[in-house]
Amino acid sequence: MSKQILHLTVNGEDREILVQPYQTLLEVLRDEIGLTGAKEGCGTGDCGCCTVLLDGKPVTSCLVVGLQADGHQVTTVEGLESDDGLDPIQQAFVRRGALQCGFCIPGAVVMARALLNENPNPTEAEIRWAMAGNLCRCTGYTKWIEAIQDVVQEVKA
Amino acid sequence: MTDTLAIGQRVDRADGVGKVTGRATYVADLKVAGMLYGKMLRSPHAHAKIRSIDVEKARALPGVRCVLTAADLDHVDDEPASRAHAVLAKGRVRFQGQPVAAVAADDVHTAEEALDLIEVEYEILPAAIDPLESMQDGAPQVRQRLVENDDSEAQAHATVATNEVKPTSNKPTNVSTRIHFARGDVARGFQDSDVIIEQTYHIPHVHQSYMEPRAALASWDHQGHLTVHASCQGIFALRAELASILHIPESRVTVIAEEIGGGFGAKIQPIIEPITALLAQKTRRPVKLVLSRSEELIAATPAPETIVELKTGAKRDGSLTALKARVVMDVGCFPGGPLNNVCLLAAGLYKFPALEVDGFEVLTHKASQAAYRAPGAPHGTFVIESQMDALASALGIDRMELRLRHCIATGDLMPNGHPWPFNGMRQVLDAIACHPAWLERKQAPNRGVGFAVGGWMGGLQPASATVRMDRDGSLMIVTGAVDLTGTHTAFRQIAAEEIGVAADQVAITTANTDSAPFAGTSAGSKVIYTIGNAVKAAAADAREQILEIASRELEAAPVDLEIRNGKVSVKGAAERSISLSKIGQVSTAIGSKHTPVLGRGTTTVTQQSPGFAGQLAEVEVDPGTGNVTILRYVSFQDVGRAINPTLVEGQMQGGSAQGIGIALSEQLVYSPDGRLLNASLLDYRTMTAIDLPNIETVIVEVPSPYGPFGAKGAGEPPIVPGPAALANAVRDATGCDFPDLPITPEKVVNALRQAAATS
Repeated sequence: MSKQILHLTVNGEDREILVQPYQTLLEVLRDEIGLTGAKEGCGTGDCGCCTVLLDGKPVTSCLVVGLQADGHQVTTVEGLESDDGLDPIQQAFVRRGALQCGFCIPGAVVMARALLNENPNPTEAEIRWAMAGNLCRCTGYTKWIEAIQDVVQEVKA
Repeated sequence: MTDTLAIGQRVDRADGVGKVTGRATYVADLKVAGMLYGKMLRSPHAHAKIRSIDVEKARALPGVRCVLTAADLDHVDDEPASRAHAVLAKGRVRFQGQPVAAVAADDVHTAEEALDLIEVEYEILPAAIDPLESMQDGAPQVRQRLVENDDSEAQAHATVATNEVKPTSNKPTNVSTRIHFARGDVARGFQDSDVIIEQTYHIPHVHQSYMEPRAALASWDHQGHLTVHASCQGIFALRAELASILHIPESRVTVIAEEIGGGFGAKIQPIIEPITALLAQKTRRPVKLVLSRSEELIAATPAPETIVELKTGAKRDGSLTALKARVVMDVGCFPGGPLNNVCLLAAGLYKFPALEVDGFEVLTHKASQAAYRAPGAPHGTFVIESQMDALASALGIDRMELRLRHCIATGDLMPNGHPWPFNGMRQVLDAIACHPAWLERKQAPNRGVGFAVGGWMGGLQPASATVRMDRDGSLMIVTGAVDLTGTHTAFRQIAAEEIGVAADQVAITTANTDSAPFAGTSAGSKVIYTIGNAVKAAAADAREQILEIASRELEAAPVDLEIRNGKVSVKGAAERSISLSKIGQVSTAIGSKHTPVLGRGTTTVTQQSPGFAGQLAEVEVDPGTGNVTILRYVSFQDVGRAINPTLVEGQMQGGSAQGIGIALSEQLVYSPDGRLLNASLLDYRTMTAIDLPNIETVIVEVPSPYGPFGAKGAGEPPIVPGPAALANAVRDATGCDFPDLPITPEKVVNALRQAAATS
């Protein structure tokens, strides 16, 4: 198979790259663009470690063919941090100790950002449902929930 | 409690920002010039002879740089001593997923395509899959000849005396280890019993399921020096294994620890690093090899299946009489499982005057096993803690009271005849007994409350560390320890407290095997307990050197000096002081008369401080669907001293979630011919955010006389009591026993139907 040109916007930067038609968005991000924040934990859409935003919606990038993102906007965990510093979700995860090995965290903070963009005032149950596709083997999720609830309170205040 | 500068404080993790921003580097993230991608071809059969392997088509595929089989390697034996030594199968495969060939190619897709072009002719052989059948005479044999058991992995975790029964024949057998413990008159004990409980318990194979699949990147320089970037729990242990397998001196191997995306005991045995190194050696190029999730589930190193027949007796007055247990542990195709831990806890948590325990470690044609967080301890605890509840109900005695009456204390004898080291089992039980979740429990239809308590002996290993003062007066810990759980942050707190500065004045780095002071593997809940002591000693040494320099600068005796607020000053004369940054300068400046500050700590702790944990679950069972909902979950743990409560809570919550997974949903399911039927994270169900409530934590502190600032190991105990606590809660809700884990909705519905039919 021959490579094709993929145009997409990643974290606000326009990109034009050559990709194989069978490469996933995750592979494009990690191997071709060099954004290794999103992780491959399973490759089958079960763990959520590769979660990124595609036009603002969370997707497991291991299940998206790279060329499907042609002309679209992608936000990865690297895009949550700005010149003003960390996203409040990132800050809350650090402060609450809501991470251990860290492998699932890029996907989790992106998912939490997607949740709060859509629903700035979620209940605990809504947070748990939103995060249910992001597997974590270290934390038992309690500190995730506390961190996300902290951000909800900060925004209210 | 006295004021502290750093101990007991919720210091943010040093690695936090790197991990939330995606900037932390894991092995799979690495890319170096000229790098090739490795992949392995795996056996589809559990037991088969390899008649032939044809790699010609694979070698001819453009982009393929190397294809290896056992025929190309000097390093493999047809009866390897350990799983790590079984680099590629030679002559015979003994588990589904065993690597038979390996490829290095320009990209991962080409490597995968090459695997499809390798032709292997197998002669399928009958396989021993069920451990009870595998023990029988005439079962298909896993080993063709006897080899010395390698128990190095079991030793890495818990240092406990066993009582091994040596085989009487030289004939290979699938029973790879037998142990026997006995004391008192067991037959008499059961005769004298008013109540006897007998039950057979089953805990299936489960998978550690760290989120990061194994990965390695290996390269060789022109002088034959190997460098491996690893996701491993111990850099020195990995270096030793690589040197042994590759037949080169350890000085020709450098291991660099990248971030590790979880290990839980599984990332000790090197099952991919040797083949990655060999591919790199053959191609003279760097090679990166990353496992897929299905490879992880099928062919890595899960935790052993265990079947325990347990019989206990008691008199009507509640006194215990006798315990008899037969433990069968299926460890897959290589020996070295935590059989001893199961036996010691099953028979050792309560004071049975007479006991007899027989343990059998059994080989089967399944992937060999590795440690999983407190290996064997959830198993032993599940069986005895389930049975204590059954005994209590049969006796009509409160289950808390029965436990408090018979739980072991320091000095009571374990089944191996050794005294229990100083421990806080009773204090953990007390903490549960006076918690509102226990005191205010209510009877309601389909609801139940259960609890259990269990312990972990803890590992021991010599350790060293250094603490250096830099020119600006800041301090740097240099360690060879891998940070699995946040221990680096706790090390900073330990050093800060010892020296007398705030934790943010102390940085830490993990050096590689060339330059790091020796540190043991991060396993066995011994990182803080042993390496933490080395850090503390190194910090004390650095402090002494700082005071010595200050003493000469201030013309005062070191004993009259104190370190406070970034300065060394004369006690009672704060104006006579020198800042730490000045000490940093004068101890490193050109022409200075002072020596640099380099604190050195070398320690070996020889006494254990077992860590006990208890958990309480309140559940609701849906009698229609059999679904178990956890309404409340409280995790109690004696950590001696919580160096950093946030980190300790994280361990307690994460360990609890893993124990709950073993209790309710996790199980590797094998077909009768030994093929894994649930090789994905959709079908192998770990706990998700909607399966769990907030896990409450109660930290109990019974200080250890040996650990730094009284700390005990915190990582492993919290996985221990969960399966029993859940089984007891579901029992309380339904009146049915659940000796067969996991407690799936199907099993609950069946048990309820059976109970209804017989009542």
